[in-house]
Formats: sequence, structure tokens, C-alpha cells
Amino acid sequence: MSAADIGRVAIRIAAMIGLLLVNGVVLIYMLRKVLGRLHLRIGPNRVGPLGLLQTTADVVKLLTKEDLMPDSADKALFWIAPFVVFVPSFMAYIPLAFGPNLAVTNLDTGLLLLLSALSLIPIGVVMAGWASNSKWSLVGGMRAAGQQIAYEVPLLLAVLGPVMMAGSMNLTTIVEAQKNLWFVFPQFIAFVIYIIAAQADTQQTPFDMSEAESELITGFANEYGGMRFGFLFLAEFSNMFIVSALGVTLFFGGWYLPFLAENPVALSLAPLIFMIKTYIGIFVMMWARGSLPRIRVDQLLAFAWKALIPISLSWVVIWACIQRLVIVR
Amino acid sequence: MKIWGTGILNGFVITMRNWMRGPMTVQYPEQRLPLPERARWTVTPKYNEDGMPKCTACMICEKECPDHVLRLEVSKNEDGSKHIDTYVYEVGACMMCGLCTAACPFDAIYMSHEYELATADPADLSRVLLQDVDAYVKPKPQKEEQDA
Repeated sequence: MSAADIGRVAIRIAAMIGLLLVNGVVLIYMLRKVLGRLHLRIGPNRVGPLGLLQTTADVVKLLTKEDLMPDSADKALFWIAPFVVFVPSFMAYIPLAFGPNLAVTNLDTGLLLLLSALSLIPIGVVMAGWASNSKWSLVGGMRAAGQQIAYEVPLLLAVLGPVMMAGSMNLTTIVEAQKNLWFVFPQFIAFVIYIIAAQADTQQTPFDMSEAESELITGFANEYGGMRFGFLFLAEFSNMFIVSALGVTLFFGGWYLPFLAENPVALSLAPLIFMIKTYIGIFVMMWARGSLPRIRVDQLLAFAWKALIPISLSWVVIWACIQRLVIVR
Repeated sequence: MKIWGTGILNGFVITMRNWMRGPMTVQYPEQRLPLPERARWTVTPKYNEDGMPKCTACMICEKECPDHVLRLEVSKNEDGSKHIDTYVYEVGACMMCGLCTAACPFDAIYMSHEYELATADPADLSRVLLQDVDAYVKPKPQKEEQDA
């Protein structure tokens, strides 16, 4: 590995960190504004013009706060848990393809890496809940584990449809297979399963059982303060971005515009188009968050095991038959 | 027939309608909503055209007040008419029910629209509405003039 290679990797990683941090700050502002407007409020409006500097002020507050640790906490686990939550969510950016040649690494198993990184997050959440030595945190962590195990299955099964159609797990190849037809049209059922499972997998309302503001007081993040809490929070928003970007990649043709797939201008704007689509997806997630009440734990798990998993399994079988018998003869 | 899932879609429709309607809240200190005419805030005395209070010191408001927040101290002038020494109003204890204004037979007090009542000084919560003024005496109809 030459010095130039190392430099290139370093620049990519720096860009990834930059995207993650800026994205977190932007999304927190966006969330508060969107939720406000959905509830007939204004949202942040005091710090800076239109409240634009509110999140910056919050970040400064979090950074300067004292780093507290509960007396009876499991010190090592408590210390390490935010990183265990944060690092996988950082890893998941690696295979994301923002344009024809714009990804940190163009992996052939990119989808697999992304989903396995996402499924590491509950370990950190359970660690945070356990180490805090508080019953609210523990209940939150346990719920997160149960929920993520339940919803990982339909998420993976929903992803199989586009993978079968593209014949690849490389995210760039999957996008290129959608040049003429976005996969959301043939794979509509898989798409619906994907958005429900993704919402649950990232613990967004109406599936935010692990946080459950009104019952568990932020659940697993209960005992955290300062920048440690900031890490947990940032990971949450970064997961939202990843899940939305993955949805755009798998179902909405990534950086392609409809009918303009070959247009050189549209291709040169590929990252911008990808980001706009991703942010529209995030908006829909926030819209759901502002519209729906949280459902009960047993309903949540019953819905996953009794409805989503059977439907997604049968969709995989049905689509495999269609693909084998109708499309590929 | 109720189709499963329509409730969820309905929730989305409601919030999107809210989004289209725009925020209802106003930026309070800079922007204010007009108060409805019937809004009841502090008790305030009314004055005649000549600047004298309309209060006749009949004490009905003081008797009527359920919270005992009004206190009138009245003395007699040499000619037997009433003189208001002080008319004290405890804003902090007032529940703005408006019974005093309803009971006042001379329309001498009203519920004003002054609603920014927060204060850092507890002394501000007790207000002197009138001090050291003669109570209003309704001029008697002069029979001589009518006769003439």
C-alpha cells in the first residue's frame, strides 16, 4: 500500500466523518422544524435566523457538559457503549454509493456489510442499558434487542427482492440495474415491508420502544449526559440517513432520475440527486414520527413475527418463482 | 366497512393538512393576537368626562368579591358625602371572575385587557386603584328647572 493509497483512504474517511456529523446537525434541525410544522408550531426560532443556529448551540452545550458517570454503573461497559453504538453506524457508510464512482469502497458484498453493521447496534444499546444500572435503561435496552432481532428478519427478506432482480449485492450494480425501471414498482410489497422494518430497526416512532420518552424517559440513554449522550443521539440520526439512503438505492434508482437516466447533466448531478431523494425519504420517516402514536411492545413483536415475517417470506418465494418462470426463461 | 390500515393513513392525512395550514403559534413578545372583547383581566376603575372616578363608594364590589381582593376605605366629608381614602386591589389573588363588575350598580369598574401581569416585585401585586378622592355623587334632578 503506497502513501498515495493511504492518503486517498484517509480523505474518504474524513469525508465520511464530515458527512455523518454535518448530517446529524442538519437532521436534528430538520426534525424539530418538520415536527413543529406537522403540529402547527414553528419549531426552533430564537437562535440565529429561523433558529438555524439552535443545533450548533446544542452541540456546543453537549461538548462542554461535565462527563458524569453513575456511581453504581459498570464503568467499562458504560464508557464503551456509546462507541459500540456509534462505530457500526459509521461503518454502514462505507458501501453507500452516492454516484456512479462515488463510494468509500465499491464492495461486492456492500449490502451485506451495511446490514450486518446495522445489526451490531443493538449490542451497544443493550450494553448501555445494562451498564447504566437503572431499571429504565435496562428495560429500554432489552426492548431494543428484542425489537431489532424481530425486525431484522423482515428487513433482510425485503432486501432480497431487489437483490434477486439486480443479481448482485453491490450497491452500485443494484442502482445501475434500475436505469430503466425503479424496483419500487415490481417490488412494491417488499418496499412496504422495508419501510416498516427500517422504521422499527432504527427505532423511530411509532416503533421507538427502546426510547419511549413517555414511559422510559429516553430508555437506554437515560443515564448518559454530555457528549456520550451526543454520540447515542448522533448514531440515531445517522441510522435514519443510512436506512433512507439504502431505501433510495434499493427501490428508487439511487442517483437516476426517471426518463433522464442517460442524460449527462443528470449524471453529473448524481450525488445531489441521491441526497435529495434520501432527504425526501427522511422527511417521510419524520412525517410518520409526527403522525403515529407509539404501539405497545407485544403488538410490535406480534406484528413482526405474525405478519411481517410471513408476508416477506412468501414474497421472496413468489418473486423467486416469477423471476425464474416469467422473466428469466 | 372498515379497511385495516385506513386509520394509519388518516393520521398521515391529518398531519399533512396541518403542514399545509402552517403554524398557528405567533412569536409572542413581537406579535400578539387580538384579545376577544369578553376577555377579563384586571379590575380597573372608570372615569367620568371631568376625570373624576365614577365610583360612589357603595362597597358592593367589596362584599361581592369571592376572593376578598378588593378593599375600600371610606370616610365622610363635612357635608356628609363619601370620601374614598384608598381602594386597594390584590391582583395576585384575583381570579378575574368579573363578579365585581357585574355587581357594580353604577358601572364604575370594568375588567380591562391588561394581561401581562408577571412581576419580579411582590409589592406590584397589590394595586391602589383610587386614593384620596371624593366619591361620585349623582346630581339630583332639579325640579325648579323642570317647572320653569
